[in-house]
Amino acid sequence: MKIRTEKNEDILICALEGEIDINNSPQLRKAFDDFIKKDEKKILVEFSGVSYIDSSGLATLIEMFQRLKKISGQMRFCGMNQKIKNAFEITKLHKLFEIFDNQEVALKDF
Amino acid sequence: MSVMNLHERIPADLKVIPKFIRALTEKIKQLPLDERQLHDIKLSLHEALVNAMKHGNGLNPDLYVEVHVESRNGYLSVTVSDKGEGFDFQNIPDPTKPDNLQKLSGRGILLIRRHMDKIKFFDCGSRIKMIKFFKKGVKK
Repeated sequence: MKIRTEKNEDILICALEGEIDINNSPQLRKAFDDFIKKDEKKILVEFSGVSYIDSSGLATLIEMFQRLKKISGQMRFCGMNQKIKNAFEITKLHKLFEIFDNQEVALKDF
Repeated sequence: MSVMNLHERIPADLKVIPKFIRALTEKIKQLPLDERQLHDIKLSLHEALVNAMKHGNGLNPDLYVEVHVESRNGYLSVTVSDKGEGFDFQNIPDPTKPDNLQKLSGRGILLIRRHMDKIKFFDCGSRIKMIKFFKKGVKK
């Protein structure tokens, strides 16, 4: 999995690429740790490069959501393909997270 | 139609999962399964292997997980067995309930159930059989 970041004003865009699974979830957790240490409170996760997510990847995102919430931060998701969207819908996590079709719409929502 | 009957034994080491699944996916690509079905099988096998290695074999690399892949007339079956005592598969908490939605575990079986056409547990839950029906019109 690759993680690329860029800033759009006060929003950190975190673009994920590849597969998110039990073996690389710690890498994702570490990246989020760094964002929180740097006091990033608005994070947009771009999923358009993600081809696969397992239950450990979903759990890592929940963990990050909880941590951000504690410091009054916000997290949005965008760019999911249908396979990834399905995993969120099956687990009903689309009710927990704020998911948008694309970056443009998600950025406007912050 | 291609016939397949594979038995594999892999140590309970999470790091071996991606390579094992990649190799198996290459083999089942010859079957009449479309890209979406291959993804569903890959995800379900991944979840079943993680459960077997973590909860069944306690991540003890000396204990093996067995995988049996068989193509029959019209479907593919993937069976994963571990050395554990099983679990109460008839009373798995529903991870989609509001109280459970933010829990950090318990979604694997739900994902398998929804990505495969049929699943069945045996041996008190230490063996799971997952079925995917071939898609009509997919020619290989």
